[in-house]
Amino acid sequence: MRKWFPALLLLSIAVLFLGVYVGSVKLSPSDVTSSIIYGLKTSFLGEHPGKKPRYFIIVWEFRLPRVLLAYLVGLSLASAGVASQALFKNPMADPYIIGISGGASIGAALGLIYFPDHVSLLSFAFAILSVYIVYTVAKVDGRIPVDTLLLSGVAFGFMAGAITSYLVLTLGPRAHLTYMWLMGSFNGADWEKVRNVFLASLFGLSFLLWKWKELNLLLLGEEGVALGLDVDTFRKFVVIVVAVMSAVSVASAGIIGFVGLIGPHIARILVGPNHKRLTLNAALIGGILMVLADLLARTISRPTEIPVGIVTAMMGGPFFLYLLRKHKRGEVLT
Amino acid sequence: MILKVNVSFSYGNREVLRDVSFEARKGSLLAIIGPNGAGKSTLLKCIAGILRPRGEVRLDGIDLLTLGPKERARFVSYVPQASVPEFNFTIEEFVEMGTYFTGGSVRDALQKVGFWERRNESVLSLSGGEYQLVLLARALAQGGKVLLLDEPTSHLDINHALMIMELLKELKEEKIVVAVLHDLNLALRYADNLLILKKGEKFWEGSVGRLSPKILEEVYGVKVEFVRGKFGTAVLSSLYELPNL
Repeated sequence: MRKWFPALLLLSIAVLFLGVYVGSVKLSPSDVTSSIIYGLKTSFLGEHPGKKPRYFIIVWEFRLPRVLLAYLVGLSLASAGVASQALFKNPMADPYIIGISGGASIGAALGLIYFPDHVSLLSFAFAILSVYIVYTVAKVDGRIPVDTLLLSGVAFGFMAGAITSYLVLTLGPRAHLTYMWLMGSFNGADWEKVRNVFLASLFGLSFLLWKWKELNLLLLGEEGVALGLDVDTFRKFVVIVVAVMSAVSVASAGIIGFVGLIGPHIARILVGPNHKRLTLNAALIGGILMVLADLLARTISRPTEIPVGIVTAMMGGPFFLYLLRKHKRGEVLT
Repeated sequence: MILKVNVSFSYGNREVLRDVSFEARKGSLLAIIGPNGAGKSTLLKCIAGILRPRGEVRLDGIDLLTLGPKERARFVSYVPQASVPEFNFTIEEFVEMGTYFTGGSVRDALQKVGFWERRNESVLSLSGGEYQLVLLARALAQGGKVLLLDEPTSHLDINHALMIMELLKELKEEKIVVAVLHDLNLALRYADNLLILKKGEKFWEGSVGRLSPKILEEVYGVKVEFVRGKFGTAVLSSLYELPNL
């Protein structure tokens, strides 16, 4: 059974609706739909259809952007995860591995301490800068061997972790906010962030869907060259796509782990390793998982919220171990 | 059709191939033999475009080294040394990879190696010999005029090894076939011409009929005897001095 896409699309819509529907203020399904229709008419069609529905602000300004942001971040991380796993030919690679999380942490720490209004921008800038450093260090004679890319990513991650810890320990009372930020949250969702992540994921996902053949050949390593792939050039493009998708996600919602790893794995079990189907299915699964994780994060210990990164790790860790136990190596890790 | 090769290649400062030149033609199977580390696999990778050598690789006058991977893949297909399949592709999906940039026929290739009926099985379920046949099918689907094979019979039982060699015998009528072989018996029985490499240089080149035990003795440093039988010539060999074990 390989036609999972329609089911995942329906499930996506259902989960998005559920995400908007559930919350501390009880709404009826018609509150949700009427507010969304009203919002679409005023914001996108320029109409003025009369009186606002009663929970319009809650739905349109808070819950809908939050749920959409969660979905898009999950989608971005899972598709970037597919791309990194193909890049490294390694099922344990997540999209953060090329320096994203380390750089974003430093940027966020500096931002929270010195420039509280520009935390997202700084974490994005530092994430991209870090990928550039990791990439440059890994380059050998104009080629990028994936082993050195992986190792320089890991080494950079340790260094960045040390720098972040140093900043947090030694600077200002606001520094502890860094850890809150690092664990990820969709609390600060707004339409601007939704737009940013939407554009990044549109760009990245379109590229990955367009280049599915190249991604398949990337799995073969150097043999891919003999089959017609310019491996070195394509690797560069993949690094750029992974960097943009995950850096924009991290800048909007912090460092949320596991979805970039688990999304692709579930998709592989459902539709196999062929990128013709894998990428899109993984993207939808990532979106669905993230909305559900955020739903748990904001409801499990109401009225307080827990960081969504904690939920994904608590859900993702055991689930990952379960997959490892249940399936033979060939089925899960390929 | 004629393939003319003259290449040198270094890994950093270490020269692995020094001015290795040879010619291969349609209708005759060229086997590359030689001791471990002689540069046989490196030579094939240079022709396949995986490594970037100095020199030239000309197919009917076209210098393949100046072409990009996509164009080169239309001329040259390459069967890598057998490894273990790592990803859960179906046989058909796996062979289709050969056609991404060349537009060859998956069906013809799979029928040629007898796997069309099993096309929906996972490559992970294949035995070593079966996987080697599927790798060959991928190269056939790619459809180049030059077929390069890196030890296509290593690790295979005698039945699968002979199946592969019989296929190559058939294929050499339509393609230029160059294979690195470790099994000297198969090389002597199926190859028309031999290229012997030693320490990165061409040691000997010629038709199989001209090969003498003495040449092999010099290359491998062992005593060699040819025994002629019903199916061809067999190579018997022995160390000069047996180690005291």
